[in-house]
Formats: sequence, structure tokens, C-alpha cells
Amino acid sequence: MIFKFNHQERLDYTSRNIILWIILSLLLVLLFIADIFTGSVNIPVDEVWRIITGQSTDHPEYLTIIYRFRLPKALTAVFAGFALSVSGLQMQTVFKNPLAGPYVLGISAGASLGVAVVIMGISSFALVSQLGVIGNWIIVIAAWIGSGLILFLILMVSVRVKDIMTILILGIMFGSATTAIVNILQYFSNESMLKAFVVWTMGSLGGVSISQLKVLIPGIFLGLVISFLSVKILNAMLVGENYAKSMGLNVGLSRFLIFFSTSLLAGSITAFCGPIGFIGIAVPHIARMIFKTANHQILLPGTLILGGIILLFSDIISQIPGKENTVPINSITALVGIPIVIWIIIRNKKLSNLG
Amino acid sequence: MVKDDSILTLHQVAIGYSKTKKGNHILFDNINLSGRKGELIALIGKNGIGKSTLLRNIAGLQNVLEGEVLFLDKKIQSFKRNEFARLVSFVSTEIVNVSNLKVFDLVSLGRFPHTSWFGKLKEKDIRQSLNALEMVGMKSFIHKNVNEISDGERQRVMIARTLAQDTKIIVLDEPTAFLDLPNKYEIVHLLNHLSKSENKTILFSTHDLNIAIQEADKIWLMLDDEIIQGAPEDLILSETLNRIFKASNLSFDKLKGDFRIKRKHSKKIGLIGDGLPYNWTRKALERLNYAVDKGNTAIDYIVVKPVKNELNWNFKSENGTFVFKSIDELSLYLKTQTK
Repeated sequence: MIFKFNHQERLDYTSRNIILWIILSLLLVLLFIADIFTGSVNIPVDEVWRIITGQSTDHPEYLTIIYRFRLPKALTAVFAGFALSVSGLQMQTVFKNPLAGPYVLGISAGASLGVAVVIMGISSFALVSQLGVIGNWIIVIAAWIGSGLILFLILMVSVRVKDIMTILILGIMFGSATTAIVNILQYFSNESMLKAFVVWTMGSLGGVSISQLKVLIPGIFLGLVISFLSVKILNAMLVGENYAKSMGLNVGLSRFLIFFSTSLLAGSITAFCGPIGFIGIAVPHIARMIFKTANHQILLPGTLILGGIILLFSDIISQIPGKENTVPINSITALVGIPIVIWIIIRNKKLSNLG
Repeated sequence: MVKDDSILTLHQVAIGYSKTKKGNHILFDNINLSGRKGELIALIGKNGIGKSTLLRNIAGLQNVLEGEVLFLDKKIQSFKRNEFARLVSFVSTEIVNVSNLKVFDLVSLGRFPHTSWFGKLKEKDIRQSLNALEMVGMKSFIHKNVNEISDGERQRVMIARTLAQDTKIIVLDEPTAFLDLPNKYEIVHLLNHLSKSENKTILFSTHDLNIAIQEADKIWLMLDDEIIQGAPEDLILSETLNRIFKASNLSFDKLKGDFRIKRKHSKKIGLIGDGLPYNWTRKALERLNYAVDKGNTAIDYIVVKPVKNELNWNFKSENGTFVFKSIDELSLYLKTQTK
């Protein structure tokens, strides 16, 4: 039997997506520029424009502010949005759990533990901040190991326990346990170590230096490359591991790839910005709503771009015009994300297999 | 001489779970079975006897503890992952209920072992997926979400996914479990049709014995101590089917091809009549715990016969004759009699 393949049907389906891509890409670029325009120091719009278009300026201090502070901050926001939302999507698919995300499952807490051990441990020899680029690499690798460790623990549990709520509660337990260990570490550390750690915990999008970006961006880039290479794997895992295996998927290798990528993504961001909550849970759901699909070929880039948009947007509204201080980014993302999480819970009374 | 087109052979297989401490936990051993091309095979047995485990072993999701599983005379272990996925596809009892997952996307996932690393669908993959949906009568559902269709429709979509996977063998674990009666019949009939039209070997487990008897070419019967295979009719004639529920109150009615409860009849009653009215009156009397004796007028008896296009039941006893217009009226009277 040969079918006349209905091209028109598929074309409509993708042309809608093409329009969405154009709109979302434009939005991302616009918000990126808007993020550079906003900040605690009031720089006239035309001056900002001159600087980012490479024209000469009469105010060298504006040049410094934009290149040393605003551009790194905007880049951090974009990459943090990419990383957190994509790691959330991967967790939701692998654990078949609509409420999974790096923050809820305690993966961010695991990264914090890694950093705490390094800062308060190594600081007995030298302050990590004095180590420069090497110090940054040490911190980020510690965060990867910490988040990877928690992921591995959750995986071990999820093999035995299938219930979504139980796994979430265990994730919260793991998170609390790591926080407790961090507190105990703080108790035993001396003043200079403590100071170094407290400075790190206060990290925000704006606190990432150019030298840290040189570590952050490659780490996230690698995580995203692995994620995009895993699109077929993620699609197969959507229907559960039994089906995936029966279709020829190497489950062990696939899990390793996805967890490796998730550790890189969630760990890198937590290492330099501290834990940022709710982006990982909420953004994949917004992407599903907008693109009306569960296919990762569309959902993965969609989640990525929406993550960038939402974190840039959150960063812009965290800068209250005229005020010198900014609202912590974590508060804004919580206020953006929590309504979406509540909506998911209410909409899906039965929370099984909603991926 | 019958041409041997066997595709699947189980030789001295033991199934169960491998435990590290106490050694292996064997659920069932000494399994010798076979399947031919284009055959619909029903796996029958009590709950917990190891039907799912056997199917998982054949589908390559679990390893046998002892013995060999052979596909086209090649050991299951010697297949590469992808190669095996092009030979055997599987539908488990898990319900795929993912929000926003389109029917087409789910079915085209079946192309997994045929596509490249990125899973990009080529024209051929799309055609095969649509073809599969057409075969199960679900082509108009391509844009629907899988969590918004009925259980019967979803089961058809899951079958379409195995057809898209394009395997010679399809294994299904209780495909009729969540379905209502018409859907049970339709799904098994669809499997029968596919096994013939596509020359596929389809193996499924079920508790719906009467459907299996009607549609399957072969039954694998898991009894307490052995596993027997044969055409359903052969198993009926050899009294083998009767052994499934040996310990229970069920017995197999060889004439009707169905199970019925063994009753302890207390009173005897005679019955005169013929055709359908006779049969159903007899059923009703047995339900009321009477032992029916055809044509016996020496004891209390009933005559069922049409009078002017309407059925009449005449109950005759030493107290006289009573006429009833329905079985309901008759049984109400008999109940008051026994009291």
C-alpha cells in the first residue's frame, strides 16, 4: 500500500513553528539588548547605543560599566536560562516527572556542597579567589561532582521507587541533608574561609566576572551539545525505559549521557550564581504549552530559547529603576515559576507519567 | 510433510529473577516452546505464574536463567541491540500517558532502530508510520494527543508503533487488560488479522480465554508444573484446558468453549422443550441450583413451548400446573417454593 503523503498537513505544522522561532529569537535579542540598557547606574540610552555599536564615547566609565559588568551579566542570564531550563527538561523526561528540576531534586544543593567543600577545604591552604582561573575551574568541577553525586543517588532510588511524589520528597531530603552538611562545614571553618564562602553564596547573575565566564560558558556549551546530541534518546525515554529498551536504546549509556549533561548544566550555574530556583521546572512546561508537542526535536530548542528569555526578563525586572540595589534574582524566578508549578499540580490531579 | 517455518524456539528455558545472595529465584523451568511465521499465539495462565516474565525474556528485556531462546536458529544473545529491535517489538502493560505527545510522534518512535543518531524521520519513515496507523484504523488520529484518546484507541496506537518498528515478531503483555468487552474482541481480532495479512508472529498474554480460543492459532498454556502448546481446539479435545483452574470451582464446557462454575445441585427437575428456549431455561434452572433432567416427567417438571408467538413456561407438580410468561416469573415462583 502506498499513501499519498499529506505534505500540506505537515507544512502547516512546521510553518507555525517557524513563525514562533522568529518571534522568540527576536524577543531574546531584544531582551538581551534591554538587559544591557538597564542597571543601577543611569546611562543615557544613546550612550549605550553608541557603545554597543562600537562608536566612540566621551564617557570611558560608561564603557567600563557596560563591558565589565552589564555585558557579562546579560551573558550570564542568557546562559543560566539555557542551562537551567534544559536541565529541567531532561530531568522531567528521564524521571517521567512533571515536577522534576535541578532545584527540587536537590541537584543544585549537591553543587553547593561541592563548592562548600572546596572553598572551606582548600582555603586552609590558599583562598580560592587568589587562584584566579584555576580556582574557578576547581569550583566548577567541584559543583559538577556534587550535582552528579546527587543525581546518581536519585537514580538509585528511582530504580526501586516508582512513585513520583516519593522521589520528589527524597530529592528535598537530599537537598536538606546537603544544606545541613554545608552548615556544619561553616561551623568548623575559620573566619577567612567563612568569608570566602559567604561571598560565594551571595553570588548572583551580576557577580560573575569575565574570567569566570570563560569557565562558565564552555561548561554550559558542552552540556548543551550533549543534550542536543541526545534528542532521539530523550524522545525514546518519554515512553519509559522498557519501551525504549525494546526499541534498541542502550539505557545505561543514555542515562549516563543525560546525567553528565545535566550535571554540567546545573552544576556550572550553581557554581557561579548560587542556586536559582523554579526556572528548571517551569520553563519546559511553558515550552510544551506554546509548541504543543512532547517531541524533543522541537521542545529542546524551544525550552532553551524560552529559558534565556525568561531569565533575561527576570533580570530586567530585578533592577528597580532609580534604585541602586537589585532584588535577588532567586526571588523573581520564584515568583515567576511558582504559579506555573501550582498550575501544573492543579491541572494534573493525577501526577503520573506526565513527563 | 509440514513445511517448517519456525521463527522462535525456546529450549529448556528457565525464567525468574537472578538474586545475588540466595542464588536464582526460578519462577518456571523446563520451558520448550516454538512459534511459526504468521502465527497468533496466546499465552494463558494464572496470575503470578510468570507470564509477564516469560514475555520479557522473549522480548529481550530480561535474560533467561537457563536454556536458550532462539530466533531463526540464532541465539538471542548474539543479536546486536539494533538488530534485535528490528526483529522483535514489545507492548507492555504500562500505559503511555504523556501530555502533548502526538499520536504520530508516538508511532514514529517505532522507527527508532531504523533512523540515524538524531532520529530525523525520512520520507520512508513517515510513510511507514502512516501506513501502520492506517492498518490499525487510526490514521485520522495523527494530530491527537495520546492522553486524550480512549484506552482502546491507545492500544491500537501502541500496536501501530510496533508495526512502524517493522519487526517479524510482536510481543504484547495483556493487550486487552484495560479494555471493555467489544474492544477486547476487536483488538485480538486485529492481531489475528495482522498476523495473517502481514505474516507476523504475534505473541500475547491474556486472561480472556474464550477470545483466545476463537482467534489464536496456538495457545501456550502455563499450568502449575508444565507448559503445553497446541491449537486451541486440540487443547480442548485433549481435556488440557480443564487443567488450568484445577483447584477452583471452574470447569471447561467443551461444547460451548467456555468456562462455567461447578455447581452443587440440590434438587432435580425435569425439563421439556427445544432450541434456544430450552437452553436458556436450563441455564436459569442451573443458576437456581437445580439439576436438570431432560424429559423426566416422573418428578416436578417444566414444559417450555411457544403459544401464539409467545413463550409459555408450564410448571407441573403434584399441586397442579402453573403457567408463567417469563423466566423471571418462573424463577420467582421456584424460589418461594424452596422456602
